[in-house]
Amino acid sequence: MKNISYRYGVNLDWLDELAAAFNCEVENGHVYCSNDTITGTLYGLQINEELSVFIQDAVYHTDVFYKMSNNDDDFVGVYFNLSEGDTVQITDNMQKAVGRWAYNVAVIDSVLSADYLIGSGSNVFSISIFIKKTAFLRSISSIPNFQEIRDVIFDADRNTLVRFERASNQAWFLMSELRKVNFGSTLYDTYLVGTVYGLIADYLDQIIDHDIVLGRVYQEDIVSIVSSQSQLIEKLKQPFPSIKVLASSVNMSDSKYKNLFKKVTGTSAKAFFMANKLDAAKEMLDTGSYSIAEVAHHFSFYDPSHFIEQFKARYDVTPKEYVTLY
Amino acid sequence: MHLSRQKFPFFYTLNPEWLFRIASEMGAKVVDNKMMLMPTDLAEGMGVFLEVMPGLSVFLIDMSFKKPVAIDRVPQDDQFIAYYDLGEEITTHVLGTTPHRAGYSSRLGMAFMDSCIPTSLLPPINARSYSLRLIISKDLLKSLARPNYPNSVTEQLFDSSQNTLYFYSHIDSRSKILLNQLKSRKIKDGSFEFHLKHTALYLLAYLIERAANFEPIINRVTDREGSAIKQSADYIMANLDKDFVGISLLAEMAGMSVSKYKLLFKKILKSTPKQFYINERLLLAQKLLQSPQFDSLSQVAYELGYNSPRYFINSYVNKFNTYPVLKNSK
Repeated sequence: MKNISYRYGVNLDWLDELAAAFNCEVENGHVYCSNDTITGTLYGLQINEELSVFIQDAVYHTDVFYKMSNNDDDFVGVYFNLSEGDTVQITDNMQKAVGRWAYNVAVIDSVLSADYLIGSGSNVFSISIFIKKTAFLRSISSIPNFQEIRDVIFDADRNTLVRFERASNQAWFLMSELRKVNFGSTLYDTYLVGTVYGLIADYLDQIIDHDIVLGRVYQEDIVSIVSSQSQLIEKLKQPFPSIKVLASSVNMSDSKYKNLFKKVTGTSAKAFFMANKLDAAKEMLDTGSYSIAEVAHHFSFYDPSHFIEQFKARYDVTPKEYVTLY
Repeated sequence: MHLSRQKFPFFYTLNPEWLFRIASEMGAKVVDNKMMLMPTDLAEGMGVFLEVMPGLSVFLIDMSFKKPVAIDRVPQDDQFIAYYDLGEEITTHVLGTTPHRAGYSSRLGMAFMDSCIPTSLLPPINARSYSLRLIISKDLLKSLARPNYPNSVTEQLFDSSQNTLYFYSHIDSRSKILLNQLKSRKIKDGSFEFHLKHTALYLLAYLIERAANFEPIINRVTDREGSAIKQSADYIMANLDKDFVGISLLAEMAGMSVSKYKLLFKKILKSTPKQFYINERLLLAQKLLQSPQFDSLSQVAYELGYNSPRYFINSYVNKFNTYPVLKNSK
C-alpha cells in the first residue's frame, strides 16, 4: 500500500506536489505516469480565478491510500467518479462505496479532510471540480428556494458542506462524451471546460428539481435502489422487467419501490430504463455499422417505429436524421 | 402600405460593451451585464450574452418581434461569427389546389463567416426567433484549428488579405441535439448560464472538427459575392422539384464567370452546385417520405422531378445507405 498525502485548491499549485508523490513528470498541467503505482494521465486546468478542474484517467497497480487535507478553506470540491474496480471511499470513519452505480458524486467542503483508498486494479476516471465558495453560492443564489437549499446543503451546526449522491444520466452522458476525446487533441481543453460547465449546470438542475428530498431517505433504501438501477443497466437489451419483478428482487412492495425509485433518482424506473436504453442505442448508431431496424431489434423495441418515436422524443431528431446528418 | 424597417446597425465585441450599445439603441434594458430585456413595443422576449472564455463569447436570442426591423452587423476585422438558427429548417407547403404542384422552401440553419462580411438580420414579425451566435476571436480559432492543416495552409487560411473564411450549411446532428436541449430550457432557470456555456464550448469544438474535413479553398470573398452565392443556393433550394438549371445560368444570375462561380460556390457551400442540388433534393425526399400526402415511392419521385423512380431509389440508397420507405403508406 502506498500512502499519499495531498491537498487540493482552486489554484493548481498543488499539482507539482502530487506528481512528485507519484514520481511522475509534470508538463503544462499534464502529469504523465507510467510506473508500478499507476499508469495514465492526470491533468489540471485552471478555468478562471474561481474555477478549476482536475481529471484523472489511470489504472492503479497497487493500493493507494489518499489522505487529503487542504490548506485553503475557501472552496468546495465537486467530485465525479466513473471508476471501475475495487474503489473505496472513507470519510469520517464511514466507508462509502464509490463505483459506477453507487455514490459517485461527492460534494465536499474544503475544510473537511477526506481520506480514501483506491484499490489495486482499479480503472479510475474522475473529474474533480474546484469552485470558490463565493462563486458556488452566487451561482445558486438565483434559484427560487435558495435559502432553503442553502440551509440543507450547508450543515447548519458546522457550517460545512458534505453530500454524497449519484450522477444523473446527463452527467454520465457528458463524462462518456469527454472520454471519447483524445488527451492530446488541441480541442481537449474546449471539450473539458464545456463538460465542466455542463456538469455544474446539471448539478444545479438536480438541486432545483428533486435532490433535496435525499436527506430524508434511509441509507439502506438508497443501496437497494442503486443495486436495482445496476440490474436495469445490465438488462438494456431486454424489454422492461415489470415493477413487480424489480420490487421483489429488493424485497419491497410495488408502491414502496416506485416511490423510492422516484425519490432517489428523480425519475420513474421505466423512464430511467428507457433513457439509458436510448443512450446505448444512440452509441450503437454512432458506430455506423447497424441499420435503425437492427438497433431497434437489438434493444428489444416493439418495432422500429416505436424506437423512432422514443428516440425523437428524447433527442428531438429521428434516428435517420441523426445518422444521415452526422 | 410600404413597410419601412427600423434599422439597428451594430458590431460585436467579446465583452458586453456592444450589448449596452445596441440595447440603448433599441430601448432595451441590460441586467447583470448579460441579459437584454426587450422593450415590449418592439419585441417580446430577451437575449443573453456571456463571455465563455478568453476569445469566445456567446449570444442567444429568444424573442418575437412586433415591428419590422433590420439588425445590421457592420463589417469589422478581428472575429469570426458562427450562427445557428433553430427555426424549422425545411418547410413544405402545397400551393393552390393541384395535388402535384407543390412549392418547397428550404433553409440552411448554420452560417460561419469572417466578421468583415456584414450581415443583415430581418426577423419575422410575431413569430419566435430562436438563434445562437458564437463570437470567436481570430487568434483563438487559429490556435485551435492549426493542427488540422499543414502550416503553409494555416498561414494562408487565416491571412485575411488572401482568404475569407465563410460557409453555409445545415446544422450537424450533434450540434442540433445540443441546441434542441438548450431550447427546451428556460432562460430564467438558475442553471441556464452554465448550460449555455457548455453548449457554446461544445458547438465550437464540433465546428472545428467538422471544418477540418472541408477542403481548404483559399480565396477572398467580398460581401457582394458572398450574398450572390447565398442567393444562388437559395434559388436552387426553392426549385428542387425542377431539373437542375445548369451552371451557366446560375453563374449568369450571380453575375460571375462560370469558373469564378464554381470556385466560390464550392468554397461557401462545400460542394459543387450540382452535388448541392442532388443532396438537397434527397434531403427533401427524406422529409416528403414522412408526409401523409404520398401513397407510393413513385409519387415522391415524380413530385421531385425524377424521371424514373428506379433512379430516385438508387440515388437515395447511395446517399443514405438505406431504402426509402413511406412512413404513412396505407
